[in-house]
Amino acid sequence: MRAKRLWAAAGALAVVIALAVGGATTAIGKGSNGNSVLKIGWAQDPQTLNPFVGLDEEDFTAWALNWDLLVNFSPKDLGPTAGIAKSWSVSKDQKTVTFKLDPTAKWSDGKPVTSADVKWSLDVLGSNGALFTSYTDNITSIDTPDPHTVVIHTKRPDARIVGGLFIYILPKHIWGKVPVKDLTGSYQAKLPLVGSGPYVVTDFQQGHILTMKRNPLFRGPRPKYDEIDFIKYGNQDAVERALQLGEIDLVPEVSAANFARLGTQSDIDTFRAPAPAFTELSFNMCQPRFCPDAKFNPAIQDRAVRQAVGYAVNRSRLNAIASRGTSFVAHGILPSYYKSFYQQPKQDYPFDPAKAKQILDQAGWKENGSGPRTKGNETLSFNLYARTESPYTIEDAKLIAEEAAKVGIDFHVQVVSTDKLTELTVQKVNGKPAPDFDTFVWGWGGDPYDPSFLLSLLTTDEIGGSSDSFYSNPQYDRLFKQQAGVFDTAKRKAIIARMVALTQRDLPYLVLTYDPNLQAYRTDRISGVHPTCPDGSGDIFCEQISYEGMLPLGPASGDSGGGGTSGGTVALIVIGVVALAGIGFFVIRSRRRGRAEPVELEE
Amino acid sequence: MTGRWLAGKAAAALATFVFVLVFNFFLFRVMGDPTTQLAKLPQATPKELQRLRADYGLDKPLLGQFVDYVGDTARFDLGVSQRSRQPVWDEIASAIPWTLLLVGTGTLLATVIGSWLGVVAATRRGKGTDNGLLGFSLFTYAAPEYWIGIILILVFAVWLPVLPAGLQTTPGVEFSGFFDNALDVAKHLILPATTITLMLLGQYFLIMRSSMVDVLTEDFITVKRATGLPWHRVVRRHAVPNALLPLVTLSAIQFGAVAGGLITVETIFSWPGLGELSFQAINDKDFPVLEGTFLVFSAGVILANFLADCLYFYLDPRVQSR
Repeated sequence: MRAKRLWAAAGALAVVIALAVGGATTAIGKGSNGNSVLKIGWAQDPQTLNPFVGLDEEDFTAWALNWDLLVNFSPKDLGPTAGIAKSWSVSKDQKTVTFKLDPTAKWSDGKPVTSADVKWSLDVLGSNGALFTSYTDNITSIDTPDPHTVVIHTKRPDARIVGGLFIYILPKHIWGKVPVKDLTGSYQAKLPLVGSGPYVVTDFQQGHILTMKRNPLFRGPRPKYDEIDFIKYGNQDAVERALQLGEIDLVPEVSAANFARLGTQSDIDTFRAPAPAFTELSFNMCQPRFCPDAKFNPAIQDRAVRQAVGYAVNRSRLNAIASRGTSFVAHGILPSYYKSFYQQPKQDYPFDPAKAKQILDQAGWKENGSGPRTKGNETLSFNLYARTESPYTIEDAKLIAEEAAKVGIDFHVQVVSTDKLTELTVQKVNGKPAPDFDTFVWGWGGDPYDPSFLLSLLTTDEIGGSSDSFYSNPQYDRLFKQQAGVFDTAKRKAIIARMVALTQRDLPYLVLTYDPNLQAYRTDRISGVHPTCPDGSGDIFCEQISYEGMLPLGPASGDSGGGGTSGGTVALIVIGVVALAGIGFFVIRSRRRGRAEPVELEE
Repeated sequence: MTGRWLAGKAAAALATFVFVLVFNFFLFRVMGDPTTQLAKLPQATPKELQRLRADYGLDKPLLGQFVDYVGDTARFDLGVSQRSRQPVWDEIASAIPWTLLLVGTGTLLATVIGSWLGVVAATRRGKGTDNGLLGFSLFTYAAPEYWIGIILILVFAVWLPVLPAGLQTTPGVEFSGFFDNALDVAKHLILPATTITLMLLGQYFLIMRSSMVDVLTEDFITVKRATGLPWHRVVRRHAVPNALLPLVTLSAIQFGAVAGGLITVETIFSWPGLGELSFQAINDKDFPVLEGTFLVFSAGVILANFLADCLYFYLDPRVQSR
């Protein structure tokens, strides 16, 4: 009798498990209302949808699909292409740019996009947005003679006004009603997030999912996916596993450690595209007039020493070991990503330890047995900081120390937190910078298309601001200002080449690697994938830059829209039933034996 | 007597909570200025930093900050997340149900299975069954929870792709009703709950086995057996209830360990509970959220211990007669 009850309970449990598995598996195959859904996985979701306070890359991913810029980045070469503005003209003195807006442009709530929206966005977001305040420094005024014309006046010619004004155009009739104090505080926009792009955010459950649906009023070609779901996972491994298991279709940021392995799976393709970012070995160049209280070994300010380091360090080896071959060997401060302006500098520091030794010998740095070289009281012994949060730059630092030791330069690698290294580089005494380091390994990321931000890092004006090498060269400063005002790409490229040559000679940064954008997607789910932004060498969907890259993507033929576990359902049910049968058998047997056997007590 | 005993325990719990509250406040102030996050921005001016400090009330004297903190906590106002700019309590409140579901299921299964196996092993002391179960329990007790979780994912999500490797529901799916949704959650719950179960099982097994072995050697068991009662009845009616008491204490103590293990398990399985929220906050250095989750975990442990005391009072007549 009791055995029958047990079997009944076991059977009921098996049915529940079967229902759970079966029911859920059926659900996996469905899209929302049968719509085509692109599922993208990430380990970090946007911190906010409010561009006034957002700082994370993931915020930009959502914004770039939701909103236009005044002038968008072209997916072909990242150069200027129509955004909210359909066309533009530059005055003879290059201080006035007149934009004609697309009269067909509408917000997703049906209201027209007007010059008032543009002016409000450039004025208010450009003055208060956490990451948008540097673009409008040069603008003196913005006129809106009619709803479809915007005239921007600048103090001096500024090429960024066309092709580098990275400020999203927001609907004034929504954002303009909110006081700026709230916008820069905890304001959260109502959903759906009214936009002009091909998709608008319709749901955002932080830590779970961000849903974007097709904007029916988008003026461009109709996107092929009806919906994009960005799904948040607990860690990067979980994201990549989900791609392998077919739970998601695309991963916009793959870890270097797993990149090669993911590419070996037959239905997964990987993308490795240059990013507008680099990892550099930075030297403390601060001069007493800027930093009277700085602390560093003055030998680091000997150009011959830095150049010797340049020749002693094998950047290809660093890339192969620390970045597992996923980065790109760097050639100067301007990443190869900036196709329109990039050219490899002549002075490039190929790996040549013999030349490094020769330079040091010529500069009077004498070999000192197995220890570091010396000159008078000075010794080539430096601290080299790396950040706890960045394992690959720690590896970079160790490799640099290993290679430099072979030419008589000692680097003592010190691993500290990002906060600590920030403090060491930005700290001030009596209002003046007082950096406390010799060298460190860190990185910078720049804007799409316009290289001004990365180039600005080595200007004198940035000392006390973004400069962390504290390099100062009046010639470089002059060229920087000059290039910013040149609208002609070829002329600007030539000026930038001269700037790069100066920094390669003086070497405030030894740029080690250009960072990659590593992505992966399922070939059985997505069609229309072609490297874009720029064409042929960019990423899958122009992430964080433009919505244009998303438009050609569509479901692959035969894609069921997800799932992949139904084949295992039967297996699980069989396992469950067998396990329960085993437990039932064990229980019954033990009870029978229990009734039959006497208690066993110790003597 | 009863009232005084309970009041004493409640006062002790309250005192512990007050200590945690004070400790929590100072711990997160010692760790540094939360506005350093903003300081990494090149554009952050001293004026902006000052405004941020004012927003977070960090410009007030420490005592004033403490008074604000106590008052706000009493109103469930745990501040605003530095990352999302949303109220911390809202984030915690949306994570608590998922954590309760996971911890509740895992703890319940671990208690039932662990104690049942403990009874089985104790009644077969020294035999193959006992040795096998002992070995298994010691193994699960010693194995780190993240390792167990990864192995389960490898077996049931990768090799035999029968269960999802993570998340709490299938994303992007609109369910036809509550039942469908619940079934989907149940499916996603299996692996993380099994991890929690295996994480806790060993201790419950070992305590129950040891407790049962003690009880089974008591004279009254021999007497019951001598009266002719069937063995299974002696075990179920007389031995097990007497052996259960240490398990109650263990459940409460385990709550602290569960809270620690949760961070790992929820992160591995992308389970959107308090553990994952804490992990994310650690990564983002989101001090207000960390402060909030720390407080909630501590309050949970204190509450669990207090409830265990109350249960002990109810279950053990010796406590009542004291």
